[in-house]
Amino acid sequence: MGNSRLTALLAALALCAIALFAAGCGDDDDDGAGGGDGGGGQTLTVGSDVPYPPFEQFGESKTEFTGFDVELVEAVAEKLGREAKFVDTSFDTIFRDLAQGKFDMVASATTITPEREKTVDFSDPYYLAEQAILVKEGSDVKSAEDLADMTVGVQQGTTGQEYVEEETEAGEVRPYPEGPDMVTPLRGGTIDAAVLDIPVAEKLAESQPGIEVSAEIKTGEEYGLVVQQGEEDLLDEVNEALQEIKDDGTLNDLYEKWLEVEAPQELLSATHEAS
Amino acid sequence: MDVILEQYFDLSLMAEHFDDVLAGFWITIKLSVVAGVLALFWGLVLALLRQLPGKPLMPVRFLTIAYIDVFRGIPLLMIILLVSGSLPFLPIPESIAIPRWFGQPDTFWYGVIALTITYGAYMAEVYRSGIEGVPGGQMEAARSLGMNHRQAMRNVIVPQAVRRVIPPLLNDYIALMKDTTLVSVIALNEAALVGRDVQSSLFNSSALTLGAIMFLVVTLPLARFVDRQIAREHRRFSRGAPRVETG
Repeated sequence: MGNSRLTALLAALALCAIALFAAGCGDDDDDGAGGGDGGGGQTLTVGSDVPYPPFEQFGESKTEFTGFDVELVEAVAEKLGREAKFVDTSFDTIFRDLAQGKFDMVASATTITPEREKTVDFSDPYYLAEQAILVKEGSDVKSAEDLADMTVGVQQGTTGQEYVEEETEAGEVRPYPEGPDMVTPLRGGTIDAAVLDIPVAEKLAESQPGIEVSAEIKTGEEYGLVVQQGEEDLLDEVNEALQEIKDDGTLNDLYEKWLEVEAPQELLSATHEAS
Repeated sequence: MDVILEQYFDLSLMAEHFDDVLAGFWITIKLSVVAGVLALFWGLVLALLRQLPGKPLMPVRFLTIAYIDVFRGIPLLMIILLVSGSLPFLPIPESIAIPRWFGQPDTFWYGVIALTITYGAYMAEVYRSGIEGVPGGQMEAARSLGMNHRQAMRNVIVPQAVRRVIPPLLNDYIALMKDTTLVSVIALNEAALVGRDVQSSLFNSSALTLGAIMFLVVTLPLARFVDRQIAREHRRFSRGAPRVETG
């Protein structure tokens, strides 16, 4: 290859690299979905692990999100005069990402736990969570005790995983990246049971053939919205908004729309002290 | 900088979870050895099948080439998901559909199957380059000594071919070993999954760093061994002329 051809090739490659760089430096905020009509104001970026129906799931397309959490956050954002924008993030790194400032808030069916409180701050609770045992139709696993020596699927990094590992005598615990990943192994018989949040389990049992919810495990967990530690102003605003949403019946509406039950009374007055 | 040290090099956390990560890494080793040996063997079989001469055996050659193309063309992650998702539903006996042999869970064996069928295809191509690299005169000489194709391959060609391709095969083996981490997607508790588990409950990535270090403990010596093999091969064929060491 002559000198001039080599130079031409290198120049072409350099040009491509510059073009890609320029394109990449454009608006790179595009992996989130537009929020509600909160009208103007600063955007509220919200991290969430989609899908986890009925809390967060895809809407009409892969860039549109909807669900209990999504609509709750949109309502909160509206009260704050901001527009919510969701970013799909894997649950097992979501708190780290929040701590690094990648988003303003996390709304991802997140249980308030003392361990998590060491690194993040929670709002007042907006949902009372209980776990469910999901099994293949006709299975004999009917309670947490029956999980002894069984192969149990859980979602990585969730309180369901903690519960199975610490409170049951399960034989093998398999952490899956996403809740819905457990459906095929359940139906195929490679896992004997799966432990997930009740609404998610019920949604999956409803929409997928061959599996059913066999038991509920009361764990007394509550979901909260999550903000970076130290963001006290934001936390206060969010809690105020949440209280208004509870008082004016919006929370109850969301409960009925997405969970098909009424919001529990104790939730409507529950508050949470950030520690 | 402090954040990096704290997030990725928290030594007390590494010490606390050392046993868990080691247990995961032990599964990694088992998976790589079993799948690696099977792939090395399967790759050779494929390469030989591809080589069979004669018109009546054309369907065999054709199918082999098709297999190699397909399994070099589909990403390993998808193969893992497809194998683990479909096997339990196939009309085959449960002991094969949900394998639990030798005390290893089904996820382990799905990983072995996926790694073997994929890496077998890659290694087949490596063997092929070795076989085709043996000078044509060798085959002619062997045939003229009265050997048939099978004897010639077995006694003359294949031994030379395999010796030539040991370095690229070892490289493929190192790649296979690293790709065992993909089996974490079906919830096999190998090193990467254990690291991520710790990360998601303690919000610290040091267990992952520890897993990475364990990998290096095995792959670095292997890489140096490959280099030494290459150097030895060079020496064998340089007819005694003094050479500058390439290592």
